[in-house]
Amino acid sequence: MNLYDYIFYLFALLTVVSALVVVTSKNIVHAAFSLMFTLFGISGLYVLLGADFIAVVQIIVYIGGILILLLFGVMLTNKITNVEIKTGTIKTIPMAIITGVFGALLISIMYGTKWSSAPPDNMPSTLQILGNTLLTEYVLIFELLGMLLLVALIGAASIARRGRE
Amino acid sequence: MKQYLINTWQAIYTVLVGMKITFKHLFVPSVTIQYPDVKQPMVDRVRNRLFVNMDDCIGCDQCARACPVNCIEIETVKSVPPEDLGKTSQGKKKALWVTKFDIDIAKCCYCSLCVYPCPTDCIYMTDSYEFSEFERNDLIYKFATLTPEETEEKKANFEKFQAEKEAKKAAAAAAKAKAAAESKPDDKKE
Amino acid sequence: MYEILTDIIGNQIVAYVIAAALPLFVFILPFALVAVLAERKVSAFMQDRLGPMRTGPYGLLQTVADILKLIQKEDIVASDTDKKLFNLAPILVFAGSYAAFAAIPFTSAYIGSSADVGIFFIIAISSLVVAGILMAGWASNNKYSLLGSMRSVAQIISYEIPAALVILTMVMLTGTLSLSEMTEMQTQYFWNWNIFGGAETGIVKILLIPFMLVGFIIFYISSLAEVNRTPFDIPEAESELVAGYHTEYSGMKFAMFFLAEYANMFAVSAIVVALFFGGYHSPFGYLGNAIGIDWLIPVEQLFWFTVKGTFFVIVQMWLRWTLPRLRVDQLMNVCWKYLIPYAFVNLIIVGILTLL
Repeated sequence: MNLYDYIFYLFALLTVVSALVVVTSKNIVHAAFSLMFTLFGISGLYVLLGADFIAVVQIIVYIGGILILLLFGVMLTNKITNVEIKTGTIKTIPMAIITGVFGALLISIMYGTKWSSAPPDNMPSTLQILGNTLLTEYVLIFELLGMLLLVALIGAASIARRGRE
Repeated sequence: MKQYLINTWQAIYTVLVGMKITFKHLFVPSVTIQYPDVKQPMVDRVRNRLFVNMDDCIGCDQCARACPVNCIEIETVKSVPPEDLGKTSQGKKKALWVTKFDIDIAKCCYCSLCVYPCPTDCIYMTDSYEFSEFERNDLIYKFATLTPEETEEKKANFEKFQAEKEAKKAAAAAAKAKAAAESKPDDKKE
Repeated sequence: MYEILTDIIGNQIVAYVIAAALPLFVFILPFALVAVLAERKVSAFMQDRLGPMRTGPYGLLQTVADILKLIQKEDIVASDTDKKLFNLAPILVFAGSYAAFAAIPFTSAYIGSSADVGIFFIIAISSLVVAGILMAGWASNNKYSLLGSMRSVAQIISYEIPAALVILTMVMLTGTLSLSEMTEMQTQYFWNWNIFGGAETGIVKILLIPFMLVGFIIFYISSLAEVNRTPFDIPEAESELVAGYHTEYSGMKFAMFFLAEYANMFAVSAIVVALFFGGYHSPFGYLGNAIGIDWLIPVEQLFWFTVKGTFFVIVQMWLRWTLPRLRVDQLMNVCWKYLIPYAFVNLIIVGILTLL
């Protein structure tokens, strides 16, 4: 086992354990914070896969953006609204069957695939290639996504302003 | 738009003005007085801790009577003839042993009223203002210079003298009575 | 760096751990010690006072004494706090601000991670700090803490936008995300620094200078807001919120917040230096080059980096003792109505100039 294996198992453990906490925790704030560690662990795994840019984007978008939004939502609405947030376990048997089947499927795929592994040191930077590909091959999709985000931004602003007038 | 640019300019400009002022103050000598090491000079007439110069005190009790809060307690014993208490610096003759001169500074209100009546100027306010203590009793300042033994001695001396005087008086009275009895018509003065 | 350490120690893992812990023990802790003292001394001198004078000559050992006190202090955990999150939050905040140091080039010989995503990584990892602050505020179960953390997070997220826009401008100018590469482009003399137009030549260089200055001011203001320094210290406004999100913390946990704050102060100053002021490069060439001693150059570089970084930290303190605190609406006005439009215009103009 070399250093990268240790790091991999560290991040894998972090991801899996915190994901378990997300699912099992009865406290919704605890669940939200555990989600942060899950996302962080996944970002670490991305780094080990040589996808440095994706890893950083994972942190900035999921932890810096979505998770903070989620936390704000949870914290500001937790005790204000009358809606009861259910955190119990229901319909255990059907869910066990579904997860069992899905897990078996994943494991069979995992063992069936022929993984090609490369040594993780001296991975080439993905930055240049990613940028070029985005602005040449996928430029239409890129621009469309940009438009979509702009529309979402304007929509959010207009909804926020409407309440005030 | 014009207002916008003016606002921007003013924001930056005013911050720079403020920074200039604070920068200048970096080089202004500090006004801090490092208290226990360096002390602020006090004015001449400050009223702080009371002090009694026992060499000059004649035990007249005027200060104790002047005190509005009764923080001064004085006990005196009369001197007997052969003892010479000397004179005060102003040339007044001392006649009393001051056996107790206690000032409870915790009660003192620093009014300075005890200072004025003193005939020998021996009680006065000093500029010392740090006299905190852990025990309240330590705030009672005992100025009397006599030791307890001396006090006892002086008291005993005085009593003895008094007794002697009484005895003398009694003897004199007896003698007078006797003389009167002997020669009634003469009116003699003792 | 790792190779040298691996050679010395023999074990790769231990070498990595040591290399990772190096900035903490060699740099951040001593820096925090000095910076806390400097903060108090600067504030004292600006207010015509003397500052701490009792501990050691001229009070130089004051922060050492403070640290000793903090270590010995009782670690109070209030009864209604969310214990797990309460204990985790300071670690998270410190980890977030410490991780930023991984991508900061201290010298040409030492950089935590020379990954190409450098500056982008720093922006991203500082969101861990945001999450940690939220966690601290929530776990304290205290109105002031929660309000402080909410304000702090709102402020940091808002001011990340102008900061990121300026960073984008600089990335467009230099064509790289890596701070060490960016530094290498500003080599030799101070007129090659990005604030003086960087490695461009001719008329473009002169035209760039005012826009670089604008970019620098915008970035510096937003970095002040991101580390919650006055005039943007509403998250810990003493007069309103006691101490903001770390009200309930004491002892070493409080010390970790404190350390994270000072580490952050240096981190943002280091980013300013690396982006605009030539990073670790000396403004007038190296003594090591002149007399031909190779190993002297990294030492000189570390010296210049520290000097420049400390200068901007001192300016932060200077501003702190000059300006009053902004109100919340003014804070958001400054960000959304002034900094962001200027940053956008600056981005476009610098983009056009770079293409020239």
